[in-house]
Amino acid sequence: MDAGRGRSGQQIKQGAKGAPGGKGAHSAGARKAAVRSTDRKPFYLLLGAIALAAVVFIGWQMSQSKSSGVITIDASTPVPEATGYLIGAATAPVEIMEFADFECPACGSFATLTEPDVRKRLVETGQARFRFMDFPLNIHKNTWDASFAAACANEQGKFWEMHDRIFATQDQWNGLVTNKPKATFSRLARELALNEGQWEECYDSQKYKLNIEANRREGERRLVGSTPTFLIGDKLVPGALGYDQVKAYVDSAAAKAALSPVMPLGGDTALKKGPPPPKK
Amino acid sequence: MTKRMIIAALALGGVGLATYLAMYKLGMIGTIACGTGGCETVQMSKWATFLGLPVAVWGVFFYVALFLVALLGTMERWVDAPWVSHALLGLTGWGVVFSAWLTYLELYVINAICRFCVVSAILVAVTFLVSVFEWRARPRVAES
Repeated sequence: MDAGRGRSGQQIKQGAKGAPGGKGAHSAGARKAAVRSTDRKPFYLLLGAIALAAVVFIGWQMSQSKSSGVITIDASTPVPEATGYLIGAATAPVEIMEFADFECPACGSFATLTEPDVRKRLVETGQARFRFMDFPLNIHKNTWDASFAAACANEQGKFWEMHDRIFATQDQWNGLVTNKPKATFSRLARELALNEGQWEECYDSQKYKLNIEANRREGERRLVGSTPTFLIGDKLVPGALGYDQVKAYVDSAAAKAALSPVMPLGGDTALKKGPPPPKK
Repeated sequence: MTKRMIIAALALGGVGLATYLAMYKLGMIGTIACGTGGCETVQMSKWATFLGLPVAVWGVFFYVALFLVALLGTMERWVDAPWVSHALLGLTGWGVVFSAWLTYLELYVINAICRFCVVSAILVAVTFLVSVFEWRARPRVAES
């Protein structure tokens, strides 16, 4: 085939100007010659590197996903119930169940901006009770430590105080700023006047791992796919809600509950050591 | 490296990205590595499905098609084929429109931003720009 001729025998010219020999113009033959002379090895190496990076990333994500779902347990240990941590009257007509990850920014936003209002205006007035369920995500490397810290504070009857401080100090212990979140949690335990030795022994032993895992699995069972997610009545609502939205769901659930009472979820771990102190 | 090679490389990256999102949507990956939490919200929304298939799966089809066309366009046999330039421009143009629609949904309807979706939108925009330059410099068929 002559240079400058396409397969159809038509002349092929290059460039927007369209003039053979013009600026930037190369004949098709020249293009093909350029292709022949071009070393394609770097191109294929680049494609290989991109493909390899994609496969490694996806494979790593899949292995992370699987490894975090499998834990070694003592077979004789009874499987804990997913009870979460409850605040408010057990007789309240509506339960607000939050599935949250302590390291998730949106959960932190809800806990610091909206939750105080919810507790004061809905929980303390008896319109609803609030249940926190751990839903630690694999992507947050310090979230399990935060859940341990809160569970161990709960052992001494101060879950909600620790819960509030953990969320309020999220910027100090999250996985992007430190690999050693324990220092912050220890300080919080001191500020709450917890028995530090007991708290630390509990934290280091990870003794509530199965309870936290049970809470997380309860979320999975209820098709929770992101955090925070709220279960209010029969509505599963993802995303950090504002007070008005929570109130609307509670009112709607209360109206339905009045017609057909729903059995609440089992026990109440947060209240075992006594009710939380009144909010100021 | 030619423009078609650049498009092929970007499209291959897009294949990986869309495959990851599709695997999450299809339940093959437990959680999604998105720090904002927005990815789950977007992926769990009703807008994450288009014509009965997850949008991420459409993304895989799109990037695979783009990759194949661009790759074929680098071969000696098709290096002077104008249809490759037209196809690349058409595909990426459609990709830009679809991505713009998805980004609008994220910002104003779902109210959550999925970082991976943003990366994909940027990828599509860049491949579109490269395709425009490639199309302007395409081989033209003229009367003898």
